[in-house]
Amino acid sequence: MSRSPLDPALLKFPHVVAGREQAILRLDDLSQHRRFGCKGPGAEPWLAAAGYTVPQAPNSAAVDAAGVMVARLATSEFLVEAVDDGSEHVNSTRRQLASVSRPTNVYPVARQDMVVGIQGPGIQTLLRQVCSVDFAPLFESCGPASGPVVLTSMVGVGVVAWPRRTEGGHSLRVWLDPSFAHYFWTTLLEVGRGVGALVIGSNT
Amino acid sequence: MSRLPAVKGERIDRDTAVEFTFEGRRVRGFRGDTISSALTAAGVRILGRSFKYHRPRGLLSVAGHDVNAMMQVRNGGRSVPNVRADIVPVQSGWDVTAVNTRGGLESDRLAVFNRLGAFLPVGFYYKAFHGKRWFPYWERMFRRLTGLGEVDFQATARSTPKRYEFCDVLVVGAGPSGLAAALAAAERGASVLLVDENPAPGGSGLYARGGVSDTAERTEKLIAFVQGDSRITLLTSTYAAGYYADHWVALVTPECLVKVRARSVIVAQGAYEQPAVFRGNDLPGVMLASAAQRLLYHHAVAAARRVVVLTSNSEGYAAALDALAHGVDVAAVLDLRSECGPLSKPAAEELARRGVLTHYGVRPIEAVAREGGEVGSLAFESTAGTAPGRRKIQLDGIWMSVGFAPANALLHQSNSRMVYEPSVEQFVVKTLAPGVYACGKVNGTYSFEARVADGNYAGASAAAGLGLGDAPTGKVRSPLLECPTHAYPIFPHPAGREFVDFDEDIQVKDLVNACQEGFDSSELMKRFSTIGMGPSQGKHSNMNALRILAKVRGEPIEALGTTTARPMFHPVPLSHLAGRRFSPERRTPLDSQHESLGAVWMPAGNWRRPEYYAVAGKSREEAISDEVRAVRTQAGMIDVGTLGKVEIHGPDAAEFLERVYTARFSNLKVGMTRYGVMLDETGVVIDDGVIARLGPESFYFTTTTGNSATLFREFGRLATWWGLQVGLVNLTGHYAAFNLAGPNARAILRQHTEIDLSEAAFPYLAVREALVAGAPCRIMRVGFVGELGYEIHLPAEHAVDVWRVLLASDSPSRVKPFGVEAQRMLRLEKGHIIVGQDTDGVTNALELDMPWALKMDKPFFVGQRSLRILEKMPRRQTLVGFTLPQPTSGQAQRRPKECHLVLEGTEIAGRVTSVGWSPTLARCIGLALVTPALAAGKQLKIRIEAGEQITADITRPPFYDAAGERQRLGDPA
Repeated sequence: MSRSPLDPALLKFPHVVAGREQAILRLDDLSQHRRFGCKGPGAEPWLAAAGYTVPQAPNSAAVDAAGVMVARLATSEFLVEAVDDGSEHVNSTRRQLASVSRPTNVYPVARQDMVVGIQGPGIQTLLRQVCSVDFAPLFESCGPASGPVVLTSMVGVGVVAWPRRTEGGHSLRVWLDPSFAHYFWTTLLEVGRGVGALVIGSNT
Repeated sequence: MSRLPAVKGERIDRDTAVEFTFEGRRVRGFRGDTISSALTAAGVRILGRSFKYHRPRGLLSVAGHDVNAMMQVRNGGRSVPNVRADIVPVQSGWDVTAVNTRGGLESDRLAVFNRLGAFLPVGFYYKAFHGKRWFPYWERMFRRLTGLGEVDFQATARSTPKRYEFCDVLVVGAGPSGLAAALAAAERGASVLLVDENPAPGGSGLYARGGVSDTAERTEKLIAFVQGDSRITLLTSTYAAGYYADHWVALVTPECLVKVRARSVIVAQGAYEQPAVFRGNDLPGVMLASAAQRLLYHHAVAAARRVVVLTSNSEGYAAALDALAHGVDVAAVLDLRSECGPLSKPAAEELARRGVLTHYGVRPIEAVAREGGEVGSLAFESTAGTAPGRRKIQLDGIWMSVGFAPANALLHQSNSRMVYEPSVEQFVVKTLAPGVYACGKVNGTYSFEARVADGNYAGASAAAGLGLGDAPTGKVRSPLLECPTHAYPIFPHPAGREFVDFDEDIQVKDLVNACQEGFDSSELMKRFSTIGMGPSQGKHSNMNALRILAKVRGEPIEALGTTTARPMFHPVPLSHLAGRRFSPERRTPLDSQHESLGAVWMPAGNWRRPEYYAVAGKSREEAISDEVRAVRTQAGMIDVGTLGKVEIHGPDAAEFLERVYTARFSNLKVGMTRYGVMLDETGVVIDDGVIARLGPESFYFTTTTGNSATLFREFGRLATWWGLQVGLVNLTGHYAAFNLAGPNARAILRQHTEIDLSEAAFPYLAVREALVAGAPCRIMRVGFVGELGYEIHLPAEHAVDVWRVLLASDSPSRVKPFGVEAQRMLRLEKGHIIVGQDTDGVTNALELDMPWALKMDKPFFVGQRSLRILEKMPRRQTLVGFTLPQPTSGQAQRRPKECHLVLEGTEIAGRVTSVGWSPTLARCIGLALVTPALAAGKQLKIRIEAGEQITADITRPPFYDAAGERQRLGDPA
């Protein structure tokens, strides 16, 4: 597990304002999931050779059967995270990338991100107050295992956002620079409280 | 002035009373009443005072543009200025007073200005401020006398959320044409956002009835269709205040600002009914006919008992029938035309059957006030019809229906082109911007059927433009039976007081005089006379002003053009514009550690950093001095994680750095670092940092805190522009960094790492990758603070653990955390600059006296060409060091502060860039940018606070350890 950049105190009372069953919005700190990043002209073939499902379209993501997501950011940068499972695979590749014998033309990208999961019936209401991107058509076009990735700004912070359709409805996973963790989380809570009943959690 | 029996479609709840006070008087209304409708129902007709002459004023539009009926509303400890009485629903408990009075509405002392008009000519402001001598006097007077409402400085800030909306088609205006457009677009599959500034949709379809309910019923059917269509979202009490590029429209709702990104926009905002201009047209009781109709049908209020309808169109005749239908006595219909138009004829005949006399060819002469200031009579002359001649009618209301001006501000802002169309006497669309459509009155279409057809066409066209359905076939225009707008409803009077602009009290003669003084274009006239610059932004005055201008110049209106209302074209609450304040703040991974150590925070760019660590019983200065001493004598540690941190990989990495920095990097050995200065194209210093070579094709480098995000974007741009094979990775937030410095630094670090830290194995300026306390780190041996030092960079997740381990060390000494202020002094003692503090936006590299950092023999670096030119020119300024004499014991020393001026005689010759008390040297030291002439001397004169001057000795830095031995401190013998 990775260490979250978020102060654990921010995951406790008084920010929990409603029981989970009544919540129309749920925010989760998902920073603990294992991940790594890489870029460079050799990154795509190297990831594919390592057994990852690499999406072909720029700014898109795919989840493989093991539960590992590979997101292509722009054209040749990749973010790989064990979103559902697959931590071992990710850990092993991450170690290889950090070793002195890393593959040529593949450059490691440190990913100490703050990762936030947003879901619930109020997700669109929240997103329309924090981001200028229309996520509605993106939610429509995405599936549980693949879909678009958006590089945008939320509450003034640059983020990578991945809309996903799950059994429980729509969800959005957001990666951001960890130095903004405190600001981003507290601001999202403030806006979220205005949207309605809210619960928060971590790594669930 | 009375409440009517229940009116079908009224918007009031007669079961819920609302009680409030107006100017101290208790008033009772119903829920759903506006302030104005409740006051009118209660018989109150004077609602405010005019801006300039403080004349009594009443209702005008009842459509959100009654600028003389703006109120100060106090309620529950809050006081809100400039509440628009004509549209804001009143609430129980409100204490309402008119703005812009002295001594109350009834006995406004400033009403004396009504008799001083001769001394307040057009352009008075410009003329008053023309000379310097009287400027302060006029400024004080204007500040004292002008301004609407009182700001409540005790008001707490409201965090108003902004939000975004998206749709295929945005329809602005939910009158008959807007409703039809929304339905037509939705039928073809478009998602539609329909907005209207009124509390309910329907527009004039619901109140301009002509005494019958046919139009209203048809409008209600359209509304029902709209409300039943899931593809249409209806927002009421919402106005579109501005159009921006790519169909980005600002909507102002009662709660917040909504930014809409539409794929296409249909403007169906209708038209503003225009007043006639005649002497006394501003008296309370004189109003637009549509205002009276709104009161009748929305609030069940009769605005008068006995009225004349001054008209030149069928809408005026309809208003007369509406009056009769609700028991208002219509004394006469006064038609400005010589005969009734065909569209008006049926209503005119109906009025005649009901005993209402119509006069034709009317020229209003003067409306006269009765005691109390309200309108009491109208004198006019008729020149046509069966009873020509001069007459005077006793009345308590004049309803004006003489024409319209299109609400086309959004169309102007979208770059659509307008043209004046004489057949309708208004501007109509000539060319629409791509994706923008117009329908209804704004398009010059007035009958109900024609507006619905126009809306259908616009809605279908907008949908088709998005690929939804086929484009509609040729547009069918209904034949225009009569012109809705009079060509020149302006009737000057020798005694004046015929108001063109009710916001600024501008009369006909003011505009004529402005033209005669040379301000004879629409733009110049607006600025000189201030017409259209008040709260209503010329919605009721610009067209009439244009007509006057055209007449004075002897040209047609179409030759003059018109002004474009900039967004926001309707006033917007500042809280809406401010919205929720998003101020991103960055924190390093060690933030919680600093907090627990007693950090006193300071902003650094968008980061928060410890300025120093508070110590119980010690002052700020003492705490900082202790931190400096700890670094000089033992060991200290500072969080430098805010530095920009970048990796660059690839075969062209060294070449990239050669071009970006002034130093040379192609010969930098792997495992070594080098200082680099970065310039812009003009040779100005924009950043500096340390560049470490990790491998033949891999470098790691730092930038200053404030520049990291901007520079990383610039690096990407340059790499692409130059076509270099490099990969850039921004580690700024993902890596932590802290600097362990002091004579004991090596001994302390050695306890937590297995690599060889000896001088031979890890010399000054070397970089190593190693485990520290089990965490993978990059360690750079640098000397910014002038002591043996190790800058440790590591992934953020390990930062707390390593920081804690190092801080817990107690052999050979403890490590004292130090903050930004101590670091500033430590580097100042060494004479090291801080870019952005010891440089400014024009400081070039030659002025910093660092020739060793400039490799001018390189083939290229950014800014090199400019430096070559600057080398041949005299220096503008030079950075010098200075010291103050050591203070006499027991006496306070006056010291300069940063940005204090350096003087040469009485002229400014430079400024202090850094200064502070050095605990190490026991004196005040600093840096200053001064003229080269001063730099060549021995002393500086610095002007400190209160204009006092002190003398400082020019001293070449570094002030401490000039030989640099301390940062190269070897192993103990």
